[in-house]
Amino acid sequence: MTPPLLSLSGIAKRYGATRALDGVDLALHPGRIHAVLGENGAGKSSLIKCMAGVVQPDAGTMTLDGTPVRFADPAAANAAGIVCVFQELSLIPDLSVADNILAADPPRRFGLIDRREQRHRAEELLARAGAEDIHPLALVRDLPLSRRQLVEIAKALGRRPRLLILDEATSALTARDVASVFRVLKDLRRQGLALVFISHRMGEIAELADDCSVFRNGRNVATFPAGTRSDGEVVEMMIGRDYSHAYPAKPPPVPEATPPALAVRDLGWGDRLHGLSFAVRPGEVVGLGGLDGQGQRELLLALFGVLRGTSGEVRVDGRPVALASPADAKAARNGIALIPEDRKTEGLMLPMSVRENLSFASLGRVSRGGVIDRGAERRAVDEMVQLLAIKAADLDVPVASLSGGNQQKVVLAKWLMTRPRIVLLADPTRGIDVGTKAEIYRLLRRLADEGAAVLLYSTDYAELIGCCDRVLVLYGGRIVRELAGDAITERALVASALNMNGAEAA
Amino acid sequence: MTSPMTPPVTPPVTPRLDPVAPAPSRVPAALRRADPAVATAFGCIVALLLLGSLYSTSFLSPDYLLQQLQVGSFLALVATGLMVVVLLGQIDLSVPWIVTVGGMMSTAAAGHGAVGTALAIPFGVLCGIGFGLVNGFGVAYLRVPSMIFTLGVDAVAQGLMVLKTGGSAPQDMATPLMRDLATGRALGPVPNAVWVWVAVGAATLFLLGRTTFGRAVYAIGNREGAAYLSGVRTRRVTLVAFAISGGLSALAGALLAGYSGKAYQGMGDGYLLPAIAAVVLGGTSILGGRGSYLGTTAGVILITLLQSILSVVQMPDAGRQVIYGTVILAMLLLYGRGNKVGG
Repeated sequence: MTPPLLSLSGIAKRYGATRALDGVDLALHPGRIHAVLGENGAGKSSLIKCMAGVVQPDAGTMTLDGTPVRFADPAAANAAGIVCVFQELSLIPDLSVADNILAADPPRRFGLIDRREQRHRAEELLARAGAEDIHPLALVRDLPLSRRQLVEIAKALGRRPRLLILDEATSALTARDVASVFRVLKDLRRQGLALVFISHRMGEIAELADDCSVFRNGRNVATFPAGTRSDGEVVEMMIGRDYSHAYPAKPPPVPEATPPALAVRDLGWGDRLHGLSFAVRPGEVVGLGGLDGQGQRELLLALFGVLRGTSGEVRVDGRPVALASPADAKAARNGIALIPEDRKTEGLMLPMSVRENLSFASLGRVSRGGVIDRGAERRAVDEMVQLLAIKAADLDVPVASLSGGNQQKVVLAKWLMTRPRIVLLADPTRGIDVGTKAEIYRLLRRLADEGAAVLLYSTDYAELIGCCDRVLVLYGGRIVRELAGDAITERALVASALNMNGAEAA
Repeated sequence: MTSPMTPPVTPPVTPRLDPVAPAPSRVPAALRRADPAVATAFGCIVALLLLGSLYSTSFLSPDYLLQQLQVGSFLALVATGLMVVVLLGQIDLSVPWIVTVGGMMSTAAAGHGAVGTALAIPFGVLCGIGFGLVNGFGVAYLRVPSMIFTLGVDAVAQGLMVLKTGGSAPQDMATPLMRDLATGRALGPVPNAVWVWVAVGAATLFLLGRTTFGRAVYAIGNREGAAYLSGVRTRRVTLVAFAISGGLSALAGALLAGYSGKAYQGMGDGYLLPAIAAVVLGGTSILGGRGSYLGTTAGVILITLLQSILSVVQMPDAGRQVIYGTVILAMLLLYGRGNKVGG
C-alpha cells in the first residue's frame, strides 16, 4: 500500500466537559475510499472539522505527506488540498451553477470576473463530477436536490482536492442519483484522490468503501478493510457504551386497552413525514429513536401545531383535533406542551427574567381578563422553582445568567406550569450535566405516573433505553420499527436506526 | 416586581454561559435595575435646564416648565404608541399622516351637527386605529417588513387626505372640546393636555407592566420564535400594538388641531423623527424587547426642551434637524447595539 496522504495520531478535542475526540489515530491513503461509521455524537463531525481546519485539535499531530501540519482555518486546509462536501448544501440558490462552482476564486481579467473562462472551467468541473448535462448558466434554484449535490461536488473539485471528505453527501439523494454519485467517487478514486465517506447507509458503505473505521465515544475503536466484518459485528463495535446515568425504575407496562391520550393516524408532511401512525397512552413514556434528522423534529412540531399543510389525523383523548398553532395545542382542551430543541432561541427569552420566563406560557392561569395577578404568579413560580430545584440567585436576574442545566429546567418548569396532559420533548438533555439529566429523567417518569403521556425524542440511545416504555424508530420520515420493554436494546436501536432489517426507504 | 435583596453570603450562581449576570451588590434592586439610558436622559434634562437658565432665568420658572409639558404632551402621545411598536422590534413610519388623519377626520366629523361634534375625537381616533390595523395586518399577517409597509400606509394616508380636502371643503375647525383639551387648564395650573398625557401614560404603564399583552410585547421583541412556541398568538399581539400606535397618533392629531384651532395638511410632519428620538433616548432598544415607559417620558421631555432651547436661541430649522439626527445616532451608538443577549 502507498504511504498515507494524511495521517492523524493521538488527536483529541474537548468542548467544555465533553470529550469529542479522544486520542484518534487514522491513516488516509490516496486512491482509497475510507468509510467512517458511528452513532450520533461518536465524534465523526469533530473529526471532519479537525481535518478541514474548522476547529483545531487540542492534542495530537496531523501529518500530510510525512510533514506535520496545522490548519488555522478552512482556507489553510483547502490550500493543502483538503476539501469538504457537507450534507447541508452550501450553494447560493439565486446564482448560476458556474458562479457557485467558482465562487471562492473566480477567474479574473483586469480585476473583473472573466465570464467566458468561468463558464469554461465550470463545464470541465461538471464533467469531472459526472454532471455534463447541467448547464453552467442554469440557476441553482431551478435544479432538483440531487443535481445540486453534484454541483456541490463539482465545486469541491474546483478547489483541486487531494483529500475529499463527504459528510453524508448522499443522505438527500434517491437511489438512482446515489448510483451516479458513486460512479463519480469511484472515478476520483481511480484518479488517485483519497476520499473520506461518512454515511449511515450500510449498503452504500459495502459497495463503496475500501477501508472502514468505527467511532465510539470519540475514539476510533477499529479500522479494518471493508467486507471483513459482518453488519452484526459492526453494530457490536458501534455500541457497548458504559451506562453511567441513573434511570428511575420503570413501572409495569400500561395495559393495551387504556384509551390513548394522543393518537396519530397516517400523519404526513411534504416529503419529510410519511404515514406515521401511533398512539401514546396516559402514563407512558414513548421514545422517538433513529438517526438524527429522520423526521423526529418535524413530527413533534406537527403535533404542536407549528407546521402548515400536514395530512392525516391527530386525536387527543379520542377527539379529532385541528392544531393550527401552538396556542391551539396549548389550549386547556388539548393540553399539549413542547419542550423545544434549542432552549436559547426557542425555549427562552434570554434577556428576560427567570420569573417572566417561567410564567410566560401559563400567564392565562394567573391572570384575569388579561391582567396578571402578581400574587398568583409569584406563588405559581415559587412552587415550580422548589419542585424542580432551580438554582438562581434571584428570580429577577436574566435567565441567560443561569447554567445550561438550570436553563433547561426553566424551560421544563415553564411548560409544567401549564399542567399539560401530553408532553413532547425534543432532545431535552442535550448539552447539560449528568446530575441535571438524572433529575430530568426522574421528572419525566413522575409526569407519566401522574397520568401524562410523554413523547421523548432523544439522540442518545442510552436515554431511550433507560427512560422509555416503548420506542418508535424513525427512518426517512417513517416509523420503521417499534420496540417495547426488554426489546429496547442498543443493538436493536442501532440496527433499526440504520434500517438494516427493513426495506430501504426512499 | 420588588424582590428581596440578595444577601451577600449567598454564593452567586456561576455564570457559565454569558457574562451578563449582574454581580451581587449592596445596591437596592430598584436602583440596580435602573436603566443607564433613563438615568442619562434625566441627567441631560437637568443639564439642559441649567444651561438654559444661564441664558435666561425664566427657563426654571414653573410657567415655562408647564408650558413645555403642554407642548410635549402631543409628542408624548405619539411616542407612547411608537414605543409599543418599537418594543416589538418593529417601527411605525406612518406617524406623520396618521396624526394628520386624526386631526382632519375629527374636525371633519365636527361638521356633522351636534352628534358629529360630540363624537369628533372618538371618530378621529377610530380612523387612526383603522390605519393602525392595516399596518398591523401587513406586518403580522402578510409579513412585510414594517419599515416598508408603514411607509406605504403613510403615503396612502397622505393621498386620501389630499383627495378629501381637494374635492370638497370639509369643516376644518376644531371643536370646543378639542380646544379645551389642548389649551385649557381645568384642574389647577396644570394644562389639560398634560392630564391627557398622564392618563395615557398610566394606562400604558399598566398595559406594559401588568397585563399578559404587555408581557407578550416584551417577549416578542426579545425572541419572537420563543414567544410563538410558548403558545402566544404573536400575530394578534402585533396587530393590536400597531392599532394602539395608530390610535394614539390620531389622538395627538385631534389635540393638535385643538391647539392650533384647525386641522391642516402636513400637521404631523414634525413628529416622526422627534418621536423616534424620544423613544430611543429613553433607552428603548431599537431592536425590541427592552425599554421602560419612564424612559420614553424622559425622552419626550428631553426632546421638547431641546426643541424649545433651540428655538429660543433662534437655531434655524435645518440646524435643528442636524442636531436631532446627531442625537439619535449618538444614542443608538451608545445603547442600541450589541446588548441583545444571545442575539
